[in-house]
Amino acid sequence: MAFQNRNKFCYFKENGIHDIDYKDVKLLRRFINDQGKIMPRRITGTSAKMHRKLVKAIKRSRSIALLPYVERGVE
Amino acid sequence: MRFYETIYIVDPNLENLVLEKVMTEIGQELEKTGSKLINHRAWGKKRLAYQIDKQKYGTYILMQFEEGDQEKMVGFSTWMKLNNSVIRHMTVTLDSKPEVHVEETKKTDSSKPEEKESEAHVEETKKTDSSKPEEKEQNSGSEIASSDSSKNKKEDGVLKDKNEVNEKKDEKTDKVKLEGVE
Repeated sequence: MAFQNRNKFCYFKENGIHDIDYKDVKLLRRFINDQGKIMPRRITGTSAKMHRKLVKAIKRSRSIALLPYVERGVE
Repeated sequence: MRFYETIYIVDPNLENLVLEKVMTEIGQELEKTGSKLINHRAWGKKRLAYQIDKQKYGTYILMQFEEGDQEKMVGFSTWMKLNNSVIRHMTVTLDSKPEVHVEETKKTDSSKPEEKESEAHVEETKKTDSSKPEEKEQNSGSEIASSDSSKNKKEDGVLKDKNEVNEKKDEKTDKVKLEGVE
């Protein structure tokens, strides 16, 4: 529910993060929903540049089983 | 020069000695490609996000190195795939030269005594917790004892009353006897 604010901002620009590590699961979990899908830019408000890096990191951590490809959502 | 990072998952049930053997084996295999190892450490046992080879947990191991012969690297990745002790592996290019990991191990060493201290605190608190119930028990025991004593007192009182009643009866009977005599 962190993304329901009207004033959207890029989380990474705000916190001065330039590179996203695929091993930082706690950070990446903020940007996937409870089904394990990557949340769209229009909701999270990340800048285009950082969103590209974010997608790459999430896909890397999925392939090494740190993040799920599919997760059962809340029923 | 490029720098790479290989992360691989090993069976979590392996003993430490076997794990070290596997790690040294993989390190030697990597050095055959002419690349220089910078870091090679166990990241820790983690729960896998999905099951791989019917395994729910895995030991993650990180390996950072400087590039060697690129053509031999393909052979290394196929060797890793064929290695039965490695569940899964992935190699990624790094943007900058990785720092040697020794400093972080020092940090962990310094953090360990704190943990111990905290554990000691916990133990102390546990001790105090454990002492409290005993006191409570003692208290409850004394309460029981006091209640017992009060019961005894009551019984004593009852007995005394009975005795008094008996004495009174005796007196009455004596009086009746006396009257009868008169």
